[in-house]
Order: sequence, then C-alpha cells, then structure tokens
Amino acid sequence: MKPFVKVALFVIFFIAVAGILAALYFYNLKPQDLQKVKPHFVITATDLQKSFEENEKASSEKYINKIIEVSGEIISVKPGEKNSLNISLKTGSDFSAVICTFPTVSDTTFFKTGNQITLRGVCSGFLLDVLLNNCAVIENTK
Amino acid sequence: MKRLIFLLIISCLLVTANAQKYMTKTGFIGFFSHTPMEDVKGDNNQVASVLDISTGEFVFQVLIKSFHFDRALMEEHFNENYMESDKFPKSSFKGKIINLSSVDFKKNGTYEVAVEGDLTIHDVTNKINTKGTVEVVSGGINADSKFNIVPEDYKINIPGVVREKIAKNLEVTVTMKYTPLATK
Repeated sequence: MKPFVKVALFVIFFIAVAGILAALYFYNLKPQDLQKVKPHFVITATDLQKSFEENEKASSEKYINKIIEVSGEIISVKPGEKNSLNISLKTGSDFSAVICTFPTVSDTTFFKTGNQITLRGVCSGFLLDVLLNNCAVIENTK
Repeated sequence: MKRLIFLLIISCLLVTANAQKYMTKTGFIGFFSHTPMEDVKGDNNQVASVLDISTGEFVFQVLIKSFHFDRALMEEHFNENYMESDKFPKSSFKGKIINLSSVDFKKNGTYEVAVEGDLTIHDVTNKINTKGTVEVVSGGINADSKFNIVPEDYKINIPGVVREKIAKNLEVTVTMKYTPLATK
C-alpha cells in the first residue's frame, strides 16, 4: 500500500471515531449542574416576582431560559413525583410566589419553612408564580 | 390575556371559597414514549390546577419549558423543534368529571371517575375523554389519570429521521394533590 493511502485511511478512521465520540457525548449530555455555572442574574424572590407581575412580556424575554440566582424566605416545601421537591419563596404578593423545583432531593429535611435560601434555577416563565427548574442550592440558613 | 382570565377566575374563587374549590400549584404531569430504539420521558412538577367539587369542573395549566428530561439534548429538541415553546409557552386542559354523583367528597376513599374536556397543546385544541381516580383523603383530594395522545393530532411534526425514536402514542400521566383553597 502506498504511504499516501495509508495516511488517508488513518485520517478517515480518526475522523469517524472522533465523530462517533462527539455524537455520543452530545447525546448523553446531562442538564447542567447549576452549582458550577455562573448565573445570568442575581435577584431577590420579591424583585423577580414583581418584575413578572408588572411586565410579563419584557420579563419573559429577559429571564426565560436564563440561570437565575434567587434568594428569599421559604414559605412552603412540597415533595413532588420521583424524588423531586418544590419549594416556594416569599414575595411581595400573597398569591404569587417563586416556585423552585429540584430534580432529585434525598434529604428533604434540609429545607425548612422560614429558612433564608439562595439557589440557582433556570427560569421557565410565569404561570401564577415565577417558575424555576433544575434548581441547585447555593446557601441555606435559618 | 389567558393568564389574566385565569387569575380572574381564581380571584372569584377566592372570594366565594367555601371548601368547594381545591387547588395545587405543584401538580405533576409527565409523558412517556417507548420505542425499541429509545425511551423518552418528560416530567413537569409545576402544574397549576383548580378543582371545583360542587360542579366537577377543573382546569390545568402548564408551562412547556417546565418539562424536564434526563438528557439536555432531548429537552432542547422538545422545546425548539417540536413544541416551539417560545411561540406556544403554555398548555392547558379544561374539563369536567362526568359522573360526579359517584364521588362522595365527604367520605375518604378512592373513586373511579370519567372525565372529558379540551386539551390545548401547541395551540391546537382536541377533545379528550378518559378515566381517572379521585382519592378523598383527610385535608385534600388526590387525582390521577393516564391517557394517550398522538403528537400529530396537535400539529407537532416529527421529522422522518427521528420519527422511529418517538412512539406514535405518548402516554400522559397526571398526578395531583389538591388542598382546599383557603379564604384570605
């Protein structure tokens, strides 16, 4: 075999393997661990809810799909399906909170009503409350 | 606008609340697709729902972006290619328990119910008829249902290359834990 053909075959083989590995990597990519990434916004629960209440359209454009670090007081803790957990944060409104969903939580006693918490989540928008998904705790104090 | 109407309904309910209305903001709706090639599931734990036990009417509302997947790429395709969640951010179901008389909301227990209503996904509305269970427990009501939907019924186009990976019929699971709507 000519050296040129050998090199060409090697290059093709290398590209094919790299392609398969890249495809597998992207396919298996998990949702981001928000503890390790910088938030796009740092805001209090009260200000975040107020922003959506006052102008849903502008706030949606600003916050949806963005990583938000939000802080506030826990007013309710509710276990969801499949080990997920929902906590609500106090806002200026009696009826509308910031609801944060954690994908898997092993120790639910970690979250207590009345605690001050700082967490990061991806904003999925505003229903009756501001909804954050894929949350991770940054700080949790009594 | 839809949210305003929803809020209006709820504030009306608040005024007249007399333990007839039940609510949750953290209900669960998930869907599951099984094919020999791949299993896909999306979970949403942020479902808002109100149930009126005097009429049997209920409403669900979800944000499409609240569906969560095991793989980041699935979530991206779901939002961008199939559901177009920037254009159609919400999905809703407005329905009714048909055999309301067979449920005794004063007595704890599990009751079989038949429900019908309008399901809106991807801005397309279809009638849904299905069965479910209502469980009356101390301090609340649990409701469960399972039914199938066909993505094409909601004008969700799945390209040929990946069509084999997504089931023709998606199984939708609904699990709600309602608590009485408190009067302020």
